[in-house]
Amino acid sequence: MLARAGEMGPAGLSGGELVDDAGFEAMVATHHGEIYRYLLRTTGRTTDADDLSQETFLRAYRAYRGLPPDANARAWLFTIATNLCRNHFRAQKRRRLAYEAASVAAPSTDGLSADGTVIGREVSAAIEGAVARLPFKQRVAFLQRKVHELDYESIGRALDCTAESARAHVFQALRKIRRALDGHARSERKEAER
Amino acid sequence: MSKPAICVALEPDLVAAATGDAGPEAAQRVEAHVERCGACRADFARYRAIDGEVTALRSHLVAEPHVAVARAELEARLTDLRSRLVAYRVVPTPVGNVLIAHSEQGVLLVEYLGRGRRPDAAAARRLAGLEIVEDAGEVERLGRDLLEYLEGQRTHLDWPLDLRLVRSEFHREVLRRTAAIPYGAVASYAGIARDVGRPRAVRAAAQALRWNPMPIVIPCHRVVGSSGLLTGYAGGTTETKQHLLAVEGVPLVPVRGDFRILRDRMYVLAPGDSEYCLPSCPSVDPFPRGGLLFGSRDRAEAAGLAPCTTCRPDLHPLVTAVS
Repeated sequence: MLARAGEMGPAGLSGGELVDDAGFEAMVATHHGEIYRYLLRTTGRTTDADDLSQETFLRAYRAYRGLPPDANARAWLFTIATNLCRNHFRAQKRRRLAYEAASVAAPSTDGLSADGTVIGREVSAAIEGAVARLPFKQRVAFLQRKVHELDYESIGRALDCTAESARAHVFQALRKIRRALDGHARSERKEAER
Repeated sequence: MSKPAICVALEPDLVAAATGDAGPEAAQRVEAHVERCGACRADFARYRAIDGEVTALRSHLVAEPHVAVARAELEARLTDLRSRLVAYRVVPTPVGNVLIAHSEQGVLLVEYLGRGRRPDAAAARRLAGLEIVEDAGEVERLGRDLLEYLEGQRTHLDWPLDLRLVRSEFHREVLRRTAAIPYGAVASYAGIARDVGRPRAVRAAAQALRWNPMPIVIPCHRVVGSSGLLTGYAGGTTETKQHLLAVEGVPLVPVRGDFRILRDRMYVLAPGDSEYCLPSCPSVDPFPRGGLLFGSRDRAEAAGLAPCTTCRPDLHPLVTAVS
C-alpha cells in the first residue's frame, strides 16, 4: 500500500532546463576560435590562452541565463575575456613584485613566435612584436578594432571607458607600431649595407 | 624639426583615415590637408601600408591545434559545470521563507529559512561543491505550487526530484516510503522502520527524516511518534509540522511544548489492508506498526481505500472537528 502513492523518481524538470544548452553550444561553436586567438595575441602564451579562454566560456555559461536574447554575444564574450586578461596581468604583476625578480621580463614579447604558432613574413612578425609590447589598453583596443573589427562602443565597454577613449587607444597603438616598424626598417637597411 | 601645429592636431584623423577608420567629415579634412602638405602625405601613405600589414594579421595567427585542444578541455569542464549547476529561489510562505533549489534533474533541496532571505549556513553546507545561482524565474512555478499546497488548494507536489543530497541507500529507502504516505495521513517512525525491513532501526529512520533534503515535498511531517506526539521537525520546531498536518485535516492538540495527534478521532489502515476502519474496530490496533491514520474519510477514500465491512466507518463517521 505505502509504495503505491507518490512514487518518486528522476525526471526532467519540465521546461526547467537551467541553461539553454543548445543556444550556448552554438555560441561556443561560433566564437570559441576567435576568442582563443584574441587571448593568444593579448597574452602571448598558449597556456594563458588555454586557461583564459576556458574561463571566459565558463563565466559566460554561468551568466548566460541573464543575457538578453538580442544582446551582442560576441562583444559580450570579448568583454569577459578582456576583464579576465586584466586580472591575469594584475595577478602576474603582483607575483612579479612579490618575488622582486632581478630581471623583470616584460609581458612576453616573443612568445608567439617562440612557441611556433605564428608563421608569417618578417614584417608581420615585426608588427606582432610591436603589438605585444603595447601597454594593455592600447594592445586590447588595437586587437579588438584592427584584428577582430569590433566597434568602438563595444571596445569601450570591454575597457570600461568611452568609445572616444577606445579610439584614442587605437591611435596611440598605431603610432607606436609605426615607430617600431620604422626602427625595424632602419636596422634592416644597416644590416644590408654591411 | 617639429611638425606644424595643424599637422599635429590632424594626426589622429589622418591615422584613422589612412587605416579606414574615419568618419566622412574627418576623411574630407584629411584629404584636403594631405593635398597641400607633403610630410602628411608621406605619413598617410606610410599608415596606409601599415594598415595593409595589419589587415594581413587577421588571417595570420595559425593556432588550430591549440584551439582544438582548448575547445575539448572546455567541453569537459562545461559538462562538469552543468552537472553541478543549481538554481535557487527564496519563497515567502505562511511557514516562513522557504528556499527551493533545483538542478537540471529536479528539485534537490527545500530548506526553511525562517526570516532569512539568503541561503543560510546549513543550506550552504549541503550545497557545498555545487555551483549555486539565484534563479531568474524557473522556480517561480515551484513557488506557486508550494503556496497552493500550504493553503490547502493542492494535495500533491509532483515535482521531479534530484536525490543526490540523500546520504545513503537506507536514507533513500526511508524517504521513498515516506513519499508514499498519502495526503492527510500519518505514519509512525516505527512503522517506517518496519516498512523498510529494519523494524529495530526506529532512531535511524528518524535520523534519515531529519536529513530529508526536501521537507514538504517528501512529507516527513506525516511521520510521528507511536504515542501520537509529533516529536520533532526541521530545526527542532514542531509548529511548522503542526501547521502542515492541520492544513491536511489531521486533528491535533497542543501538549507541553509539542502537539499530539488525536488517534481516537482518526481512521485506521492496517498494513497490507485496503479497507479503512474506525479506531474502535476489533480487527485493528489503534496505531498499528506499518499502518496509517487518516484525518477524514475523504482523505482515506482519496487514497483509494474502501470502508471496512465490519466496523462500517461509512455508516458511523467520527466527529473529526477539533475545537
